[in-house]
Amino acid sequence: MASVTAPAVQKPAFRSVGRSLLLTLPMALWAMVMFTPALRQPGRDGHIGAAAVAVFMTVLFYMMMRTGTTYRWRRIFFVALGFLFPVGFIASLIAVRGTMSIPIERMISGDTPYCFMVTPMVIVPAALFRTLIFPGSILPTPSNPHSIAAMIGLWLAVSLVVGKAWCSYGCFFGGIEEGFAAVAKRARLRRFVLHWGSRLRLTPWAILIFIVVLSAALMEPVYCAWLCPFKTITEYPAVRDVETAIQMAIFIMLFAGLVVALPFLTKKRTQCAFFCPFGAFQSLFNKINLFEIRFDREKCVDCTLCQTECPTIALSKESIREGKTLLNCMKCGACVDACKKDAAVWHIKGTRVGVKPERARLLFLYGGWAMATMFGGSILANSVTTMLGFLPWK
Amino acid sequence: MRTRVLAVLAYAGVGLTLAIAILVPFYLMGALTGVMAHAGLRVDDKFTGGTVAQSFVHEGYTIRVHEAVWPRMLERTEPFVQIVFEPVSALPAQVNEAIDLDGDGEPDVRVEFTVPASAAAKMHGNVIALNEGYESLRNAGNESFSRMMVRVGDRIVVRVPVRDVARK
Repeated sequence: MASVTAPAVQKPAFRSVGRSLLLTLPMALWAMVMFTPALRQPGRDGHIGAAAVAVFMTVLFYMMMRTGTTYRWRRIFFVALGFLFPVGFIASLIAVRGTMSIPIERMISGDTPYCFMVTPMVIVPAALFRTLIFPGSILPTPSNPHSIAAMIGLWLAVSLVVGKAWCSYGCFFGGIEEGFAAVAKRARLRRFVLHWGSRLRLTPWAILIFIVVLSAALMEPVYCAWLCPFKTITEYPAVRDVETAIQMAIFIMLFAGLVVALPFLTKKRTQCAFFCPFGAFQSLFNKINLFEIRFDREKCVDCTLCQTECPTIALSKESIREGKTLLNCMKCGACVDACKKDAAVWHIKGTRVGVKPERARLLFLYGGWAMATMFGGSILANSVTTMLGFLPWK
Repeated sequence: MRTRVLAVLAYAGVGLTLAIAILVPFYLMGALTGVMAHAGLRVDDKFTGGTVAQSFVHEGYTIRVHEAVWPRMLERTEPFVQIVFEPVSALPAQVNEAIDLDGDGEPDVRVEFTVPASAAAKMHGNVIALNEGYESLRNAGNESFSRMMVRVGDRIVVRVPVRDVARK
């Protein structure tokens, strides 16, 4: 008996072109406002970089509006941010100091750009001794525009708007992992995730407590000195003795294992899920942020597809049964896009679950994408400009 | 009724969140930066060298002596005193100075170095302790935060380890 194959059904677009364009208009205007200062600066590369990124961000937002999906479009931006950030950053380090390593004389001159990952570690010494245990400058200087006050001000402002979504719209380090996680078509270590996923879920909190206490006791940012995998692709203390050589070896091993190999093999952001203390700290902003992902229990069939798709293991069977995500949900939208029953929904705290979820998504995306364009977009523009400068015919 | 009030409050909160988002680049980021900058915080003395205690003005150049920096909690850095020679351009080719670090009128260390020809050149010199409160440094470079002789921009920064007996 010949089998009959049903004709492929073209899934209809979520919104019409006109309505999608209308909803994209505010973001297009925002991108223009954000990148106009760069267009006023001299230099053609800068103009091309700014214009390209403005268009890039606007087109991605349009696709989110047109398709009604979030994750894959956000991921394009986020992975681009992750992989292009080091280009601009390393180029600026080489231009300023000729190397990616920080010699001790640079540390005492206050030229080290502030990294937001240090924030949980500086709080206790700042409260106890009014001392910031980071070798930067408090206010911006010509040699260090990324001062402590400026970067904390920026991070705090963005966190107020997006909460833990900083980790999926702002953290360029996360973009690198997400890029490696996206390479393979399927997870090769699926059992590893099933077995260790729930067991290691609280590890970032343990590391957070450990590094906060130890940093306060030793009066130095312990995570940056010993455990940050991203030192490998940003800047690191110059190797000058056994201790700094060991530090460098740890950075490389953690980067290779948690940022490259495990994301590739598990299709999860393993560094974020099992290690990152800053991510755990950032989760606290989910308590005050109004946007969240919820599960409509009347529609949910407990297929756990959402759990499989979640890149940071922010869902458990118990949490889904309660209709909630775990505190470390970074609102990337993977579960919502994956859910075939429309049970996973965007939600505004205080409103009823499942009522106008698209409105909740839209309102979240306006805030989130505005911050992504302002922060990540400017990093992208800088990196694109840097890369244009490397073109062989220049 | 309660559900409705909650929903109204929730949307008011969302409106506020979006207003914050719009204000971030134009006002809020600067305001939060200002708050941070005026919170009375300072960068750790281990990096800055601490407060300047006294200055000695020579012909064309100045020697600034900082207050001793003592470790807090379980800090691994040894106690040290920072001495700064600036500007480099006005220094003689060879510097050999006896310096009073604790303000008692008696020299505590003798610092000697050759002024590097360029900003990138690695420099080395000696610090000879003249009393038991300080440690001598032979061929000092950039060993650690408390033992160094480095060029930073237009300054030569020397850090001399302090012994506990020098603590007042």
